[in-house]
Amino acid sequence: MSLPQAAITFLNHNAATNSAAPPKAEDDLFQIGALDSFALVDFVNVLEENCGIKVPDADVNAETFRTIEAVERYVAARNETC
Amino acid sequence: MGAYIIGSGVFLPDRVVTNEELAVKLGIEPERIHRSSGIKRRRWADPGTLTSALATRALAQAIADAKLTATQIDHLLLGTMTPDRFIPGSASAVQTSAGLRKIPCLDIRAACCNALYALQLARALTVSGAASHVAICLAEIQSRYLDLSPESATLSMLFGDGASALIVSAAPGPGAIEILDLHLATDGAFRDDLGIRCPGTEFGTAPALCETLLPDFAPRMNGQSVILHASRRIVAACQALLERNYLTTSDIRWIVPHQANANLLAQIARGLDFPHAGGVVSVIEDFGNTSSASMGIALDFLRRGGSVEPGDYLLLPAFAAGFTWGAALCRA
Repeated sequence: MSLPQAAITFLNHNAATNSAAPPKAEDDLFQIGALDSFALVDFVNVLEENCGIKVPDADVNAETFRTIEAVERYVAARNETC
Repeated sequence: MGAYIIGSGVFLPDRVVTNEELAVKLGIEPERIHRSSGIKRRRWADPGTLTSALATRALAQAIADAKLTATQIDHLLLGTMTPDRFIPGSASAVQTSAGLRKIPCLDIRAACCNALYALQLARALTVSGAASHVAICLAEIQSRYLDLSPESATLSMLFGDGASALIVSAAPGPGAIEILDLHLATDGAFRDDLGIRCPGTEFGTAPALCETLLPDFAPRMNGQSVILHASRRIVAACQALLERNYLTTSDIRWIVPHQANANLLAQIARGLDFPHAGGVVSVIEDFGNTSSASMGIALDFLRRGGSVEPGDYLLLPAFAAGFTWGAALCRA
């Protein structure tokens, strides 16, 4: 599944703030500057509001949200378990 | 009987350590310290100064502010991560140096949540009638524990020394702030992500016996984990507290948080959708993260600034090693 536009817009905006191009599916979001620890908290909120999922505290770590592909997999898995 | 903060005090060491001075030791750009933490300078105590000495100075100011005398205090709570001695607690030292009667004196070890735990205990003591005037001392000399090598730069750049004190009484007085409710929680699964391992029975007690233990005597922090969990759990704690008191964020006039990191304070305000610009009290730029002491320092600055109006609601959130976290709801 692909991410909702709000999530993509969030990542693109953050990347642009750090003079980076919009992230590709396999880009390391932390390495290119689309996410940092603080932005990840906001990004999780965007996912919760737009994907109909609840992200447990234990899942809020950089590895889960390292790439757009990983985020898509995670959201799909959460949708299945919710 | 209730629980009212009727006095506050602060003591900060004279020595100012700027980012520029610290950056040389840590091998980091001064601007990076400010950008990633909001800190420009902090205070460090001179060698030989005791944590209890800072606490005693802050307490004297708080007692005077409450228009009491030392002999009227009938319970002392002291929160610190950096005690004078391993045993006994530093509250004993303050009892003597502050001229308190031979009252119960207790150290609390909930790190940056010490203020919240102390407020909860003080409230229980006054509401139950066990005490009329509870003194809370919150003090740290963290500079002496810091690893000033580049490997620990992102941690050691944060911390400062200082002390605050609060007087919680069963009856209100002029300018009193009532402690209405507290929400506190702990998740010990993350206790290795923030804290100081030694001395203790788990990792060892004597560094001379094993040099590999030396790093365990310095603070350690998984910054990413702390930021992620602090951001979410503080907001959730505040929301839980507001909900059970039939309030919303817009009812809150002041947020007086533990001064961990300016970016975290902004994140909490954003997470709560806090509408009052300038309502998040921050002293972190000048004093850094003073751990136990920071919330009391911020509250004292707010009270003395004269901006608090009767009826104003205050939220006091914190997050600490443990992890433990929570918030207090108060009303002026």
